[in-house]
Amino acid sequence: MLVMNNIGKVYQTDMVQTHALRDFNLQVNEGEFIAVTGPSGSGKTTFLNIAGMLEGYSSGQYMLDGIDVGKLNDNQRADLRNQKIGFIFQGFNLIPDLNLYENVEVPLRYRGVKAAERKRRIENCLEQVGLAGRAKHLPQQLSGGQQQRVAIARALAGEPRFLLADEPTGNLDSLMARQVMELLEQINRDGATIVMVTHDPELARRTPRNIQIVDGQVADFTLYQGKGAASQALKSQVGA
Amino acid sequence: MFAHYLDLAWRSLKATPLATSLMALAIAIGIGVTMVSLSVYHMMSADPIPSKSSKLYAVQLQVMDEGQTYHSADDIPFQLTFLDAKNLYQTLNIDKKVVMFKSGFAVHVNNPEVSPMLQTTRLITREFFAMFELNFLYGGVWSQSQADNAAPVTVIDETIAQKLFGRSDVVGESIYLAQRRYQVVGVTKEWQPNVKMYDLNNGAFADAERIFIPFSHAAAYEIDTWGNTNGWKREEINNFTDKMNSEMLWTQFWVELENDKEQQALATQLDNYIQTQQDLGRFNRKTREFSLRNVTEWLEYNNVVSEDNKVMIGLSFMFLAVCLANIIGLLLAKFLKRAPDVGVRRALGASKTQVFYQHLVEVALLGFMGGVIGIVFAQLGLWGIRKTSHVYESLATMDVSMLLAAPSIAIVTCILAGLYPAWIVCKTSPATYLKVQ
Ligand SMILES: Nc1ncnc2c1ncn2[C@@H]1O[C@H](COP(=O)(O)OP(=O)(O)OP(=O)(O)O)[C@@H](O)[C@H]1O
Ligand SMILES: [Mg+2]
Repeated sequence: MLVMNNIGKVYQTDMVQTHALRDFNLQVNEGEFIAVTGPSGSGKTTFLNIAGMLEGYSSGQYMLDGIDVGKLNDNQRADLRNQKIGFIFQGFNLIPDLNLYENVEVPLRYRGVKAAERKRRIENCLEQVGLAGRAKHLPQQLSGGQQQRVAIARALAGEPRFLLADEPTGNLDSLMARQVMELLEQINRDGATIVMVTHDPELARRTPRNIQIVDGQVADFTLYQGKGAASQALKSQVGA
Repeated sequence: MFAHYLDLAWRSLKATPLATSLMALAIAIGIGVTMVSLSVYHMMSADPIPSKSSKLYAVQLQVMDEGQTYHSADDIPFQLTFLDAKNLYQTLNIDKKVVMFKSGFAVHVNNPEVSPMLQTTRLITREFFAMFELNFLYGGVWSQSQADNAAPVTVIDETIAQKLFGRSDVVGESIYLAQRRYQVVGVTKEWQPNVKMYDLNNGAFADAERIFIPFSHAAAYEIDTWGNTNGWKREEINNFTDKMNSEMLWTQFWVELENDKEQQALATQLDNYIQTQQDLGRFNRKTREFSLRNVTEWLEYNNVVSEDNKVMIGLSFMFLAVCLANIIGLLLAKFLKRAPDVGVRRALGASKTQVFYQHLVEVALLGFMGGVIGIVFAQLGLWGIRKTSHVYESLATMDVSMLLAAPSIAIVTCILAGLYPAWIVCKTSPATYLKVQ
């Protein structure tokens, strides 16, 4: 469903040019669950943002469901995002003025879901992340882990076909992290395609396909079995 | 979605009470000032008699000698001489015509408990009531023979009746105008056109008269005018008869015409009248000049709404613009602070349009609040103006259309002020705020 050909992304700040992505090639098929790993600053978030059409790219081609994203205007991208894509951000990004219920409601409102259906889905999702009792709380009244779970509930409520998750378990203890992982696996089984950035090797191992981003480029490890091969490939790629 | 945006807007405004009240106050002051000048203008320029403003015509004659000028746009005097008014009334072949002037008396009744009062009075011919649409509550206008015989009869309005008798059904009662006893033959409903179009020469916004007596009394009882008398030539005036026969200008003459044909016919008659007068040695200009202006044209010609009023409106709108310029900065700061939330909303499926719309609803709500407070300010301002002069009593008020205009103007101008900040905030790339941990 997602095909990126030679995507490049250059950030121009004052005098410095940062090549966040270069010659980035990736194909994600419908129904896949991919874990993305890579060192800090390697371009993982940049990749997710481009995949989610939150950011443009400097060069290359990005096809989503056969549509050339580069040819869409802003409103068309918003539409597409609205219909297909769900986000779990690295920094939760809850809206501070809205309570949990309303935060989860945001994507549903923009999708035009009817009030009764919204209520059903929101309650269901908050239940799934174990926060049903706190629907009226504001984000700042919650711990980091709880906020992370709200962000997950918000992404799930939209029932996206394509879920982009940036370290969804970063702030959770291992038990909670496993529960979230199970949730993601569940919706993946239900048909959602998931790309998840994670630093947790244990979680990465649970997904059928891992890719590593190093220096803005992809190293796809599904071809290699076992850790040794992976690290070898990594070494050869970074030229070590 | 609108209700949702309204809810979001309300919360956002509530979240920053200080900034919100400052902005609302700025709008309110601007709106208050604007509404004060707009309301006065609105009342000044409102059509005083919408059903007839194109049918009632003021008649003017160029009575002055060659070379004489007058302070009107076309040099024709605003008023007529008593002589011409009387002649025209007698000779013009037209049903609806009225000649009149303003006078006044000390008014009292045979009741020591009611103290006498000084009241302006209008000397009119019978047609006045029908032509200017006064409504009778009781009785009616005097008869033609009463007018011809200068019978002491009068029509008063309900407020005078109340003051003198404590009730309004007073047909048949007697009142005294100065020392003369008059019988009340009719009581009219209170009548106060916003502009006293029938006698602009004596205060366009002055109170309408509430006591009416037959025009024939002027000659019969030597009743002089309380209005302006304009002389344009040296004349020796020793008594009232001299004044009535003089070239001094102090009467008003109106006709009601249904169509162009009637207007044409009247024009011919006026031209003939001037010609006959020329034969008598008057009207010795080379050209025969007269003019027929309907109410609308008459108000325009008399500059009832002066340029000053229009300048005032311009200035007050400029003041409003300054108030709004101030809130643009505040709005920009407020919206930009919220840019990260906007980024999240965009990422979760909001289009730029939706974000833009959300922010405009917020400024519109702010404008509405400012507009409502602005009405209070405007009422205070108008109250102050009414206190300064009696003339403004009926002018410095807000009618329904102005009450509705205030929040509308506030909302529209606020949306204008909010366009730029809203555009800035919806234009920022959603990703910018999402990366930072
Ligand atoms: N808006 C920006 N302007 C300039 N440079 C940027 C911007 N966003 C990212 N970068 C740079 O691009 C590179 C990739 O950043 P990115 O956020 O994608 O890394 P990451 O892999 O998500 O890192 P982490 O694991 O720490 O989240 C970094 O060098 C970063 O400094
Ligand atoms: Mg990142």
